[in-house]
Formats: sequence, structure tokens, C-alpha cells
Amino acid sequence: MSRSMEDPSARGVDDGSAAGGPGPADHAVALRITNLSKTFPGTQALDDVSLSVSPGTIHCLLGGNGSGKSTLIKILAGVYRADPGGRIRVRFHEIDADKTSPEWARGAGLHFVHQDLAIFTTMSVAENLALGRGFPTGPTGNIQWRALRRHARTVLDRFDVHVSPGRLVADLRPADRTMVAIARALQDQADASEGLLVLDEPTVSLPAVEVDILFEALRRYAEAGQTIVLVTHRLEEVTRIADRVTVLRDGRVVTTLDAGEVTKDRLVELIVGRALDHASSTTSATEGEDLALEVSDLWGGPLRGVSFGLRRGEVLGIAGLVGSGRTSLLTTIFGLQRPTSGSISLDGRAVRFHNVDDAMDAGLGFVPEDRSESAFLNMSLRENLSAAQVPKYWSGLRLHWRDEVADARRSITDFSIKAISERQPFATLSGGNQQKAIVARWLRRRPKLLLLDEPTQGVDVAARAEIYRLVRDAVAAGTSVIVVTADLEELARVSDRVVVLANGRITHELEGPNIDPSRVTELVLSATGDPTNPDMEVSQR
Amino acid sequence: MSADDTGTATATVAPEEEPPPEAGATRDRAGTHSPVLFNVERFALPALLVIVLVIFSLLPSTGNIFASAANFQEVGFNYVYIGILTLASLIPLVCGEFDFSVGSNAGFTQIVVATAMARFHVPLGFAIVLAIAFGAAVGLMNGNTVARIGVNSLIVTLGTSGILLGVVEWYTGSQSINNGISSSLIDFGSQNSLGVPDVVWLLVGVALVTYYVLEHTPYGRYLTSVGSNARAARLVGLRVDRLKLSAFVLAGALAGVAGVLLVAKNGSASPEAGNVTDTLSALAGAYLGATSIRPGRFNVLGAMLATYFIGFSVAGLAIAGVASWISQVFSGAALFLAVVVSTVLGRRRAGTG
Repeated sequence: MSRSMEDPSARGVDDGSAAGGPGPADHAVALRITNLSKTFPGTQALDDVSLSVSPGTIHCLLGGNGSGKSTLIKILAGVYRADPGGRIRVRFHEIDADKTSPEWARGAGLHFVHQDLAIFTTMSVAENLALGRGFPTGPTGNIQWRALRRHARTVLDRFDVHVSPGRLVADLRPADRTMVAIARALQDQADASEGLLVLDEPTVSLPAVEVDILFEALRRYAEAGQTIVLVTHRLEEVTRIADRVTVLRDGRVVTTLDAGEVTKDRLVELIVGRALDHASSTTSATEGEDLALEVSDLWGGPLRGVSFGLRRGEVLGIAGLVGSGRTSLLTTIFGLQRPTSGSISLDGRAVRFHNVDDAMDAGLGFVPEDRSESAFLNMSLRENLSAAQVPKYWSGLRLHWRDEVADARRSITDFSIKAISERQPFATLSGGNQQKAIVARWLRRRPKLLLLDEPTQGVDVAARAEIYRLVRDAVAAGTSVIVVTADLEELARVSDRVVVLANGRITHELEGPNIDPSRVTELVLSATGDPTNPDMEVSQR
Repeated sequence: MSADDTGTATATVAPEEEPPPEAGATRDRAGTHSPVLFNVERFALPALLVIVLVIFSLLPSTGNIFASAANFQEVGFNYVYIGILTLASLIPLVCGEFDFSVGSNAGFTQIVVATAMARFHVPLGFAIVLAIAFGAAVGLMNGNTVARIGVNSLIVTLGTSGILLGVVEWYTGSQSINNGISSSLIDFGSQNSLGVPDVVWLLVGVALVTYYVLEHTPYGRYLTSVGSNARAARLVGLRVDRLKLSAFVLAGALAGVAGVLLVAKNGSASPEAGNVTDTLSALAGAYLGATSIRPGRFNVLGAMLATYFIGFSVAGLAIAGVASWISQVFSGAALFLAVVVSTVLGRRRAGTG
């Protein structure tokens, strides 16, 4: 931790640089991957992938869910090891793909900036730059603040980040935070052409203006010789910023092309694997019907005028990228967020929930995306199952444990939860069984409307199927369901109808035989929700 | 126990999509849950209490005095006050918050009850109600700041504690209130019923009510849920801030009861009685108790056993003639060891150790 500033990057010094710097031939390729495969139990995540990235270019990696791009990044980062047989070469550092490690990745000059930037918002920019690298220290181990600030100033100037080193990261605009994270990753590179920067969905949570600022910076870095590998879901970004594009599908490389020669539609076709179907699918399938839920012109947070209807006993899937407003839509319906305008009607009656209690009284249930927001880990399975209906057991001034135990045992059977007994601490259940119990917690209330946000995240295949079977049973009993998941194949399989959400508005609707995973993927990727001029629309209101 | 698992959320590579590596080969972690280990842990503290009682009763140097009814009455009597404070500190702990002001609040409310009688000639019943109301008002202040404004409870109640100690010193001029205290209150503090001091019966009563509220009412379940995961509690419709507020009010009211008890026990109200040391003993009892009966959860029976485990151990050591600092070390070490062991076992229980 106390490596001093006067000791710049005493690492990654390899054969090549020791021999007086690499020759020009070494610069022809910044990254070359050959015959990379990765098998997980039951799935082939990567299948004989080969690609190469030229130095000083921005190379986009594209692919739908399960295409293998995350696995690829994790192998580069040394988090996973690939199957034997592949080779990875970063400039002059070459290694067998089954031998990568985080140390190797660092030594080879691979730098990663993830969607979650891992920066410390309550600390200053200068402190963030020093963390993970070492603070400059004086004779007594004291931090030399002036040297720290001077170093930060140099780094920020080099990366054209126009913020003061003393500012708190929390006070920076989002694009600057990302740039600070990038600067932190690259600060010890003596020369821009030295390493490789991998950016994993850096724009997911950025507003359009901020994306522009970030992209300008990335272009400048690339012109200075920095090689950048960019993972993204947003295709308009690709055509704007990338030099080259590699598309992955089902763990294989579909193609690599020059970004200049490709349109957004073409990219969608490549990702989905078939020709685009331009027939309009926007219908108002539910107009004039007797609806369980009707949302009209809902605004608030990322939502910009969402309208849709949900039939009784229907499963409605919501497809959209992260940042499209898919989670906000659910939390707004559930009363966790107040809409700024618009209306929500249940069974034809307008409702306005002031808190979760109101929503539950009206017959709503919500399973949040993150299990840490629904699990009571140090309480028993029984208590977790009955958490949303404790008053049911309260009569005659006591809690009727025996009824609660009986109900818990019944739920364990009905919902196929694997547990020794209902007394088992919740933390000792497997993730899939925890999730089943949480879904069961709501289904036991026989909700009119169940909102599921990524109900199968981090859950194994068998448990996934079971969770959806439980949901199906409830639907047969009259519950209406809205499900959000990034796994579009799963969404297509479980939904009666799918709406596509982009930039806070619904752009498409698919019903019945039209729900095909590749069609949904295509719509999600090509739908923009009109981001070209969002401000204009706001001002029209 | 109530602390969050921070620091585990470091950067992982790339979110969502890919199949989890263990997909299809998921390990059923239920297998690592050992009922035997769990039961050993549950009954370790009561077993230790019994062992302490047996050893000090059989040791030739202490047996005569320790095993006498008088000694049991004495220890029972001495630890009632700490027992009530332990229950007071327990309620906020159940919902994940600290109340560091319970001891000082008891010191404050003993002055309230004594002053009401000695200076304002208020009848005993009303004086007691006043003390409890003042205690609850302090709790309301704590709870409001913690739940509504969202300030860390340890800091808030530390501040409250300081204010109360200062106010007591100012109001009393550091003088004890010895005269004008209802004799029936003092009698209550010195009488026995069925061979057990009346104040011990009071503790039994308060403990039973607390146990009932925490374990047999929806309210208690809600507090536990908030303490387990406040965000999840909100998502199942609980009013987290109201529940936290109410926990502090209850803690304050119980501190009021403890204040009344101090006067009954001492026959006077001294500005030195009721302080931060008492708070520490109470918190220690609650934490030590959380290692047994229902391991990993703050519980009334465990807290009471813990209080008297410390009480009888310290008394036994004193009778054996050891220096008083050894008793201090003993209490500290017992808490230290119990919490370490229970954390290690708890981790194993959760399958993460």
C-alpha cells in the first residue's frame, strides 16, 4: 500500500520492454485471442472464439444475453480460466488461455472498468486515484498531500478530466466519475499504446449528454494510441464510436467488421441471427377490455409516459435494457416511488398508493430484483414465508405459532422448497430455495397482481423452471403477473404478451406467436424510445 | 450480530447474463446445517450458569456462604436493576439499533421520581407514571432523531446520555435526595415474597411482558424483521421508521422503570447512580444473551440468563476473595469469548465459514 510515487509501476516489466522496447511488429496487434473455448456444466459459453484488436482502436464487443461476451471478459480478467487449447496474446505477453490469472492480466497491461465503477464517492478524486495504487508517504508513513494532489493533477490533465483533485467524487457529474475510474485504471501506463482498456457497459446509467462527453474522451484516448475494448448493448453507440465491431452469438464469433460499413439494423440482424422483420408490431391489444391493471401516461424518474393494460390472469413480460425504466415501472406501481403524473387503475378503479401497505391491501405483491432486499437471512424459513401476512396468525392476544408452522410446512411442500424443517435459518438455504420461498411469501397471499423483477437471477436451471411453474399455477387461479427479466429467452417463454420498454416509454408490443426470443431481442436492441431529443418531449408537456 | 456485512461488495467482473458457473450442479447447502451443533450452542449459557452455581456451592472456600438463601437473595436483588436495563437496551437491538442512553436515562428518571415525591409531594403512583413518561419522552427524542432524520443511533444516544448526565448534575447540585421518599416504595425495595425479593418479582414480570411482546405479537415479529433486513421489511409493508421510533420509546419507558427501581433499592436518589457503566453492563447482557437460547438473535431469556450468569460468577469470585479487578476481567472476557464463538458458529451456520 505504501509504494511511493517515485517508484512508478514497478510491475509488468516483461521480456519485451527489458529488451529496449517492443519492435513495430509487436504493435500490429494489441489483443489476439485464438481458439478460445469455455465450458460450464451444461453449457458451452464460448466455442472456438478467435478475434484480434488493433492498437489505438475502439473495438466493440456485441451480443445478446448468453452470447458469451461476459465470459470472455472474465477470462481476460483472470476470473475464469478457459478450456485448454486456446491462446491469448496481449501485445507481447502470450499465454495459454487455461492459465490466465488476475496477476497475469495486470502484468500484461489489461485494465478493466466495470459498470459498477468501484469508486469511493465520499472520498476526493485524488484519494480515489491513489487507492489501489498507493499513497505517496513521508518518513513517518504520513500521506504527502501535496505530492498526492500534484500526481492527481498530472493524471487528470493527461486524461483531460476537468475536475479539481480535491473535489468529492459524489459531487462530480456521472461522465466525470466514469472518466476518473478510467484515469485510475490507466494512470500507471507510461504510454497510451502500452496497455488495453476494457470498458464493460460504461454508459448504462448515463444520460445521453453524459454519454457524449464520455465518448469524446474515449475518442481522444484512442487517437493518442490507447486500445479500447467496449462492451455495450446500445447499438446506436456502436455506430457512433467504434472502429471495429465483433458480434458474438451463442458463444461463437459471428463476424468482425468495420464499424463504418455497418448500420444499426444490420447489427441487430447479426446479434439475433436472422433478417429483420419491419412489420409494425405496435398494437393496442387491450383497449376497451376489462383489465386487472391499467397504467396510463405514467411519468416519474426514468418513466416518460408509460401506458399499458394487463388482463386478468395474464403474464405480461417487460423487455428493456438496464436504464430503460423497467425496475422503476414496477416500483412505481407498487407504491415505492410516487409518479409525477399519470394514473394507475386496478380493476377499473384509479388507485394512488402512499406506501407499500396500501399496495398490499389492494392485492399487490412485489419480488425485487436483488434477493438482499427480500430475504431475512437470520430469521427462520417459517418467518420468511409468513413475513407478508403476520397479522393472519394474531388472534386472542397471541400469535398462533402452530397455524404458522402448519402453513409453513404446507408451503414447503406446495412450493417444493428443499429444507430440513421450517425452523431452518434462511441463510442456510440455497439461493434457488430462498427465491422460491420469497415468491411463495407473496403467492400465499393470493395476490391480484404480482410484480416480479428478475425472479430467477442467480438461480439454477431446475429452480427457475419451478419458480415459473409456481407463477403459472397462481395465474391459473386468477393472479395477473408482470415480469421483468434481462433473459429475453426466458421472458418470451413465460409471457403471454411482451412489451418493449426503451428510454422510459413503451415502443412495441408482441403477443402470442409473435413472441419469439430473437424478435424480442431485436426490438429491445433497435428500440430507442426516441432518445434523439428527449428534452423536446418534456417541454411539450 | 446487528452490524451489516459491509466490505463484501467489491467489484466483480461483469454483471447479469452468463449462466452461473455452478448452474446444474448446485450444492444444497442445507447439508451443512447441523442440528447438534445448534443445540449445543443454544444451551451452552444455561449449562455454564448451572456449572458456576454448582462449583461455587461445592468449593470448600465458598460453599457455605455461596449456597445460602441469603446469598441468592442478595445476588437476585443486586442484578434486578441491570436486568431491567438489559431488557430496555434489548428492544432497540432487536430492530437493529443501539440505545446507549438507557443507563443515564435511568439515572435521570430516578431523580424525576424522587423529586416528584420529595419536592412536589406527588403521590407515589403518579410519581412512578411521571418517571416512566419522562423516560419514554427521552426515548421519543432518540427515536425521532434516529428514525425520522436518519442519524446513526449510537451517536444520537451517546449524545443524549451526555445531556442527561449533565442535567442530573445541574438539577441536583450533586446532592442526593434522601428525604421525602415514599416509604412504601422503600419497603417494596427491601421486602421478600415467597422468599424472593419483591424487586426480583418485578423483573420476572417485566421480562415476561417483554418476552410476550417480542415473541408472541406481530409487533415483536416486525421489530425482528426490521432488525434482520430493514429494506426487505419495507417491501413487505412494514413502517420501518415508526417501528424504530416505538422501540426507542419502549426502551425509554423501561429505563424509567429502572429509575424507579433504583430509588426503591437504594432508598434514595443519588446523582451518581445510573450511568454509562450500567449501559455497558446492559448491552453486554443483551449481546451475551444473543449467543444462546435463540443463537444469533437478541432474546429475553438469553439476556436474563446472561445477566445472572455474570451476577453469580462475580458474587462467587468475590466470596472466594479474589481481587475485584478479576470480576471485571471475568465479565469482559465472558462477553468477548461468547460473541467470538457465536460469530464463528453463526458463520458456519450460514454456510459461509
